[in-house]
Amino acid sequence: MDFFVQQLLNGLAVGGIYALVALGYTMVYGVLKLINFAHGDLFAIGAYLGLTLLVTCQLASTLPPFYAVLLVFVMVSLMVALIGYLLERVAYRPLRSAGRLSAVVSALGASIFFENALMLIYGARVFVYPDFLRPDFTVTILGFTIPGMRLLVIAVSILLMVALQAFMLHTRTGAAIRAVAIDQGAARLMGINVNRVISLVFLIGPGLGGAAGILVGIYYGQIDFLMGWSYGLKAFTAAILGGIGNIPGAMVGGLLLGVVEAMASAYFAVAWKDAVAFVVLILILIVRPTGLLGERTADKL
Amino acid sequence: MKKILTALACLALTLAVAGPVRAADDFKLGLMCPVTGKWASEGLDMKNIVSMLVDRVNAKGGIDGRKIELIVADDAGDPRSAALAAQKLASSEVVAVIGTYGSAVTEASQNIYDESGIVQIGTGSTSIRLTEKGMQHFFRTCPRDDAQGDAAARIIKAKGYKNIALLHDNSSYSKGLAEATIKSLEGSGVNIVFYDALTPGERDYTATLTKLKAAAPEFVFFTGYYPETGMLLRQKKEMNWDVPMMGGDASNHADLVTIAGNAAAEGYFFISPPLPQDMDTENAKTFLKDFQATYKSLPVSVWGVMAGDAFVAIEEAMKAGKFTADDIADFLHGARNLPAITGDMGFDAKGDRVGDFYRIYTVRSDGSFVLEPKI
Repeated sequence: MDFFVQQLLNGLAVGGIYALVALGYTMVYGVLKLINFAHGDLFAIGAYLGLTLLVTCQLASTLPPFYAVLLVFVMVSLMVALIGYLLERVAYRPLRSAGRLSAVVSALGASIFFENALMLIYGARVFVYPDFLRPDFTVTILGFTIPGMRLLVIAVSILLMVALQAFMLHTRTGAAIRAVAIDQGAARLMGINVNRVISLVFLIGPGLGGAAGILVGIYYGQIDFLMGWSYGLKAFTAAILGGIGNIPGAMVGGLLLGVVEAMASAYFAVAWKDAVAFVVLILILIVRPTGLLGERTADKL
Repeated sequence: MKKILTALACLALTLAVAGPVRAADDFKLGLMCPVTGKWASEGLDMKNIVSMLVDRVNAKGGIDGRKIELIVADDAGDPRSAALAAQKLASSEVVAVIGTYGSAVTEASQNIYDESGIVQIGTGSTSIRLTEKGMQHFFRTCPRDDAQGDAAARIIKAKGYKNIALLHDNSSYSKGLAEATIKSLEGSGVNIVFYDALTPGERDYTATLTKLKAAAPEFVFFTGYYPETGMLLRQKKEMNWDVPMMGGDASNHADLVTIAGNAAAEGYFFISPPLPQDMDTENAKTFLKDFQATYKSLPVSVWGVMAGDAFVAIEEAMKAGKFTADDIADFLHGARNLPAITGDMGFDAKGDRVGDFYRIYTVRSDGSFVLEPKI
């Protein structure tokens, strides 16, 4: 039982980060029906920019750790949001009328560009966040001792997702985004500036991705220029699992993927965890082709 | 006219006889190494080290009055260039060749030397199959890939662990080391309570560690590379699990401690060939002093020093009066206790190096790697 709960928590912490990255995929897909393969790399850029601000710009040594981290979260989110906005203007907007396949190829190209840019700017070595930034405390719940940072990762992920969902459902801008997601033409007729809404989506998604990058940097310490690809792939899977285009779906999919991986490691074999996780994905998609929370959309005639 | 012809014929005969006789005064030794290309730093070390040792012998008037003529050929760290270099050396009629770095590169030249009846001593070619072909003239001064497994098993037995966990990362190096260790541990009474592979390149190994902990090993041997080792140590510390952990030579990297943090890395140890500056035999100390005096730097890795060991093997054969390829090969097969730079050296019937070579490095609390005394 103890073993099971430990593994469940391990899975939830990993899944929380998958979910956070998956949000970026799902938001862009929901609005543009485009899989933004460069999203994982925006996440990696966030991790690198965070490290640059904290260490090279010495924010970590001039401010108390808590405020330094908070400030860096805000600054990096803004910077990555700006990169996301530019990405959309340069790589996606000119192709918007060109069909979905061209945009996907453009996204893959952007991903390769970002990875290599990171490697050329920072070098191929592994980088490490300073250790003292990581809050080192443990929490005891029902007799289980849990590293505090794990709970923090899960809590931050859930908080950001709830905030995003509230924004989508309860603000006028959120309503505009949902309208554009349903029908761009009709939204334009209703007086919604579609280009501005799409730009906004490319600010929010990458901004959250950048924040997730710092979270991974602070918790796990180690960052490298290819981390965007491996996390991106898992997060993309999580988005599909939950129903791509659906924000609570990204959350459910991410957490579920994390837990399935942990359980596969625990009760099957560590070497087979990815194989087991993807078999589960296939089984779920056979039963529910639109994902767990995805809605069946009627085909337009 | 006839006289002139006879005189010319005599002269030609004298030259023809004298030519080879004069050449036989010098012992022709080939060195094949990557002076250019991706391994140029290793190759330059090999060239510097062997030239220095050759000069030392020649300065003393050679061996049995015979000086050594060193002929260097560049293999560029590439199998095709290696075949050309081998042909070049074979046609310069060398008796023996030292080199080279990289198993595939060595393999490309093996047949050429073998067919020409030239002794070849590989220096950085650890692939097992190189000495499994029954070639009578091939030797190597570096350990084979499976030697590290033997060393790991010996250390595990020496430390007295009974229940151990083995973890690899599915790369051919890491899996091979884990399997070699299991093979060497057979029949020793050591139980392997956990054997599995993780996916390299991930950030979170807590699920793996939780499962490992549930198997309750006294000791963990992870055979992968330093980024994953660093994450495992860091997360193991976070779990407050203080099981001793060991690694192979792929974890010999300064970034290991940066990733894990000093506190988590303290006490971790790994098996590895000793770094040149850590070699503590008398021969090594003399060699390092000479090398620093000549080149004002240290060898970049132990692999260049292996070329020096290969030279010692040939030097010893010459001292024993063996000057032809067949005699040298006979002398080296079964030779023991040759005074090599990296320690006592011998060769078995296959031409593989005999003698333990791997040492233990332990991470201190300040993050430095310290060479442990021999077990």
